[in-house]
Amino acid sequence: MRYISERSNDPGLLVLTSLADGPKHGYAITVDVEQFAGVHLGPGTLYGALSRLESKGLIEALPAEERRRPYRLTADGSAALEQELQQLQTVTRQGLDRLRVAAVAR
Amino acid sequence: MRDGLEPTTTSATLARLALRLYPLAYQRRYGEEMRSLLEDQPPRARTVVDLLRGAARAHLKPGDAPAGVVGPADRVRASASAVLLCWVFFAAAGFGYYKTTENFGTASRLHPLVRDAHLAVQALALIATATVVLGALPLIVKALAQARRDPSLRRTVALALLPVIVFGALTAVVIAIAHANGPNANGSGAGGGMAIAWGIAGLACGTACVLACRAALFATPIAPDRLRVALVAGTTVTGAMVAIAAATAVYAIAINLDASNLAAQSNGPYQLLSVTASLIVTVIVMVAAGALATVAVRRGWRVEGQLAST
Repeated sequence: MRYISERSNDPGLLVLTSLADGPKHGYAITVDVEQFAGVHLGPGTLYGALSRLESKGLIEALPAEERRRPYRLTADGSAALEQELQQLQTVTRQGLDRLRVAAVAR
Repeated sequence: MRDGLEPTTTSATLARLALRLYPLAYQRRYGEEMRSLLEDQPPRARTVVDLLRGAARAHLKPGDAPAGVVGPADRVRASASAVLLCWVFFAAAGFGYYKTTENFGTASRLHPLVRDAHLAVQALALIATATVVLGALPLIVKALAQARRDPSLRRTVALALLPVIVFGALTAVVIAIAHANGPNANGSGAGGGMAIAWGIAGLACGTACVLACRAALFATPIAPDRLRVALVAGTTVTGAMVAIAAATAVYAIAINLDASNLAAQSNGPYQLLSVTASLIVTVIVMVAAGALATVAVRRGWRVEGQLAST
């Protein structure tokens, strides 16, 4: 399938979604994203996203566990994720409704 | 299997090297985590590409970098060593320019613009080389003094010297072979291959030397004044690089306008390029090295005022 939009595959959105149910470290985020979105985040993409999200205050690092450092959503991060997902949901609902109407009309 | 789907030892080595291409702030903040991730998920060819893309993006968007990880002294150390690395690649392009134009004395005498551009390149190259030596000397002296007291630093200092010795020995061998084969041996056949191998070895040895110097620089306590001198030297070298690139571009244009017969001649190992194409490649490498060095010194100057407080 050819993607029209990559918005739902945005690494930042995928990382925020992965952290929505609790803190995770890099490897756990990669495995989780691969499971729920079918997208493999390479280390460069993953840590680029983590750095961007951290600098915007949307996630925060927890104390390191050996060499791994877990991350969790901040309050701003939760709000930003909810807003983004609601926008996507609106677009999804609109798109599906219109396709249904068009199919009936045909 | 080498289709990029399976992890390989080469991919693992390349991935570890790619991590070192990240800006210092990223290496310090995320380096250990990324290395741990690479151990959990053995890297493939696409992992290396992903890391290279991530490193490039991190350099291009410094606003996303983790804050407060790199102090002003280390920022200036990183700037100085980045300028030195740019200088290695710039010098390689400069050597290409020298080899391309070494027999163009007649054109220089007949055409004033060609002569003036050539003189400008030579004068600026001398200034830049002297500045590299003068700027690096206080740091080298300090690192050597530190290495006498700190055994752990001796290995790093030795690693910085080793590529210079290796390249010196290699150059001696190449010169001996070239003398044994007589003149014009480098234009084709084994001579051309040897020239290309020598050039690649030079860049590899130069890069290895700068990386070891960088490691020694970070392990050596250096007074703010000496770091400031290094930053001024780096800025002067960067200015000279930009000016040399401009003078080389003027030379390339002038030789095309005034001595088109020379510009069309075949040039380089295996006579692969024309003189014009060689000069264009030279200018592109010079401009790229000058631009990267400019970015590096700008980052250094941004924190220069905070050096006294370190």
